[in-house]
Amino acid sequence: MSGLPINEEFLQQVELLQTLIKNNVAGQFGGNHQSKSFGSSSEFADYRDYISGDDITKIDWNAYARFDKLYLKLYLDERQMHTRIYIDASRSMAYGKSKKDEQALKIAATLAYLAVNEMDKVSVYVIHGDRVEEVITAMLGKDAYVNSIGKLNEISFDGDSRISEAILPSTVGYGDGMSVIISDFLTDNNFEDAVNYLVGKKRDVFCIQILSEDELNPKARGKLHFFDCENSDKFYRKHIAKDIIHAYRQALEYATGRIRDLCHSRGAQYMLVSAHDTMQDIFFERLLNMGVLK
Amino acid sequence: MSFMYPLGLLGLIGIPVLILIYIIKNKYTEQVVSSTYLWNLSEKFLKKRLPINKLVGIISLILQILAVLFISVAVSRPVFIIPDSANDYCFVLDCSGSMNMQENGRTRLEAAKSEIAEVIDESKKGSIYTLVAVGDSTEVVFEAVDSKERALLLLNGIEQAYTSNAFTDAVGVAQRYFNHNPSVKTYLFTDKTFEENRNVQVINVAKSQENYAVSSVGYAFGADGKLTVHGKVTSYESAAELTVKLHVVYDVSDGISGTAEYSQKVEVQKLEAVDFTFVCEQTGFRYFEASVSESDALALDNKVTVFNIEYENSYTALLVSDSPFYIYAALLSSGNARVEVISTEKFNADYSGYDLYIFDSYSPEALPRDGAVWFFNPKTSVAESGFTVQDEVELAAGRELNYTSSSSTFAKTLMRDIVKDKVYVAKYKKCGLYRNFTTVLSCDGNPMVFTGTNSYGNREVVFAFDLHFSNFPLLADYATLSGNLLGYTFPTVIENASYYCGETLLINVTANCDSIRVDSPLNKIVYLDTSAAVCEFTLNEVGAYKITMISGETERVFNVYSSLPEEERVPASKASAFSLQGEAGNKKLNGIYDDLLPFFIMLALLFAADWMVYCYEQYQLR
Repeated sequence: MSGLPINEEFLQQVELLQTLIKNNVAGQFGGNHQSKSFGSSSEFADYRDYISGDDITKIDWNAYARFDKLYLKLYLDERQMHTRIYIDASRSMAYGKSKKDEQALKIAATLAYLAVNEMDKVSVYVIHGDRVEEVITAMLGKDAYVNSIGKLNEISFDGDSRISEAILPSTVGYGDGMSVIISDFLTDNNFEDAVNYLVGKKRDVFCIQILSEDELNPKARGKLHFFDCENSDKFYRKHIAKDIIHAYRQALEYATGRIRDLCHSRGAQYMLVSAHDTMQDIFFERLLNMGVLK
Repeated sequence: MSFMYPLGLLGLIGIPVLILIYIIKNKYTEQVVSSTYLWNLSEKFLKKRLPINKLVGIISLILQILAVLFISVAVSRPVFIIPDSANDYCFVLDCSGSMNMQENGRTRLEAAKSEIAEVIDESKKGSIYTLVAVGDSTEVVFEAVDSKERALLLLNGIEQAYTSNAFTDAVGVAQRYFNHNPSVKTYLFTDKTFEENRNVQVINVAKSQENYAVSSVGYAFGADGKLTVHGKVTSYESAAELTVKLHVVYDVSDGISGTAEYSQKVEVQKLEAVDFTFVCEQTGFRYFEASVSESDALALDNKVTVFNIEYENSYTALLVSDSPFYIYAALLSSGNARVEVISTEKFNADYSGYDLYIFDSYSPEALPRDGAVWFFNPKTSVAESGFTVQDEVELAAGRELNYTSSSSTFAKTLMRDIVKDKVYVAKYKKCGLYRNFTTVLSCDGNPMVFTGTNSYGNREVVFAFDLHFSNFPLLADYATLSGNLLGYTFPTVIENASYYCGETLLINVTANCDSIRVDSPLNKIVYLDTSAAVCEFTLNEVGAYKITMISGETERVFNVYSSLPEEERVPASKASAFSLQGEAGNKKLNGIYDDLLPFFIMLALLFAADWMVYCYEQYQLR
């Protein structure tokens, strides 16, 4: 398993990362962890099964006496969240030496761990074409995490992805947590509707754009004929010189600005990540600064 | 425009090669990328290119072509012709003795050479240069040279002369160039003033400078035998009180010399030659120097050295005799001999290094190789001597000897001033001659006095009788004949020891002379041709010359002094006209501009650097 992105070594790093985060912040993942629809902090909302590690002061001993089983009383502001992570599994994420796919899987796995550690449910989906496919469903607790997270390695990156067309028909939940979309967003296809839709569903939306080093700082020069790996009908043929590179940078700024502005205008979070950034950089520096981690 | 090295243009072949490479390699490289989204999006941000910017794809090629073009042109050395911008120059340079005069630390000749170099330097390329040096003789140093470097090199090689020169030949040479090209710019660099200088630009490098000179130095021996030195001293620029010194070197005894110094003050007016006289205590001298102590601009004429010509022509003689009176008297009468006398018992083969060996009534076992030999009454035959001693003939009564009646020049020379007194001998040695000897006196057909050369090439004189058994020593002809024979044995090598620079020294070549070496005052060494009886050598430096005549192992040294000619001592003398006849033209030569090499190399480097920077910017870095 060591050749796979999600392996034991990586999981140890995630554990260490989580420890570091706990030592430095309050330990809560998800700044909008509390549902916006449950305002009171003392109003009973529901029961759920006790899981090892839960706060034993919240065990309903009366229920235990009656049913001989441990239940936890949940109040409105402590309702269990459901973090849904969407991974763009198009071919462009995995083509060449870019390693965008590995970066996407690692980020997804780390986010899932942090969520599980806060006793949230976590689901991981991949977007293939216009469909959302479940990879991990409602994973709860560390044991489940350890047992399930390896499924991420089985994700195949192929074909294209149409984010809005895929997410809109799927079950996205309502007001019960965070929706994370991990993609390169290098597409003409509509993704704005998906963000709007999720925001409309009272979800905390977090868009993570992963670009390779070649996409951020292209080294290509001279007479080149580029073919798109997802669609060979798409090509670009030019004598790439200084002025083209200048225009490319403007296009990059435009493309990243487009998704960033969309997120900010919708109250969503946005983060641009290089395929070569480390998890420590992403989680310990970037997310902390952004306030996603508290 | 033309090219100095047209083969350099072969480099232009590189241009079509570059174009070919560009055409062959100018293909789009296909590459699959994760997404062309951003590339296609960049089209929206690409500024519309100016038509000239469409060349961006071939800028690299253009820069390479320009670099190759300029490198090729630079290598082929383009030459541009600029019409009517160059000149034909003819420089006449006075190298005479007065140009030695020093002004501001350099001689007039150096100043003149510097000014010529300046004219050459400032002239346009394409000009041609001719230089006529007027020194000992008129010499065309270079003619129609079109290279500045070569002209300057040859100019630097010109050496100072000391002699008086006439500009007649130089005018003739310059006139010839002027006739050939009336537009020639003729310059005369001199320290003399010319009354007429038509068509010639005279550059006078003379400045008024003090100059004192010693001249006309001679000597005589007074009635008391003492040396008297006389001469003249002159101041050419102003009146002055001058100190004249005399330094005499003389023989104390054989091989040991002594010196004496004399001095006197002389009042002189400008350009007035004032006599001076020194009466010395010495009765002889090797040489003396008369000089002016005061320093001036021209040191060459401040001193005159006079060598004693008799001393210079003197020789050493070894007389081996038990009764040398007559012979010794004859040698002394010649005046030039320094004689050493030893008895026959003392003589052995270790005695060497003499110019003349005289054996009286004695025959050595081996004939000396390093000098002339005289025999008086030889006892026995000596190998290589050229004659054999046979019987001794004793006569009852004295027999009269017969003088030669030969009409040959040589015999006449030997018989010069002989009055033919009657000579009688009582006994003599009958000798057989097997080499070519000339007989001066004979008896009954037997040679009594004869002379020639021995097998070693040395001159030989034989008296086949004992002087004590003859009346010959008592006759005047004895001294005369002895003198003539000594003159034959040691012909005067140099006739005079004092010359003026430019005069020719005549050197009599002795029969056995192997070589003659001349060491000049400036330490130049010249070997003279000894094949002729008299060889000539022109004295073209001021100072003492040393002439070494080498005969086998024997070296005879002679000294002569060459003085600066009197006409060269005047700081700014007037000379006759230096004019060129005819109408001067104004036609110029085509100039050449070929200093473009750095320019083209700079352009080539510029484009090469530009190409590299372009590639660096466009293809490698952001």
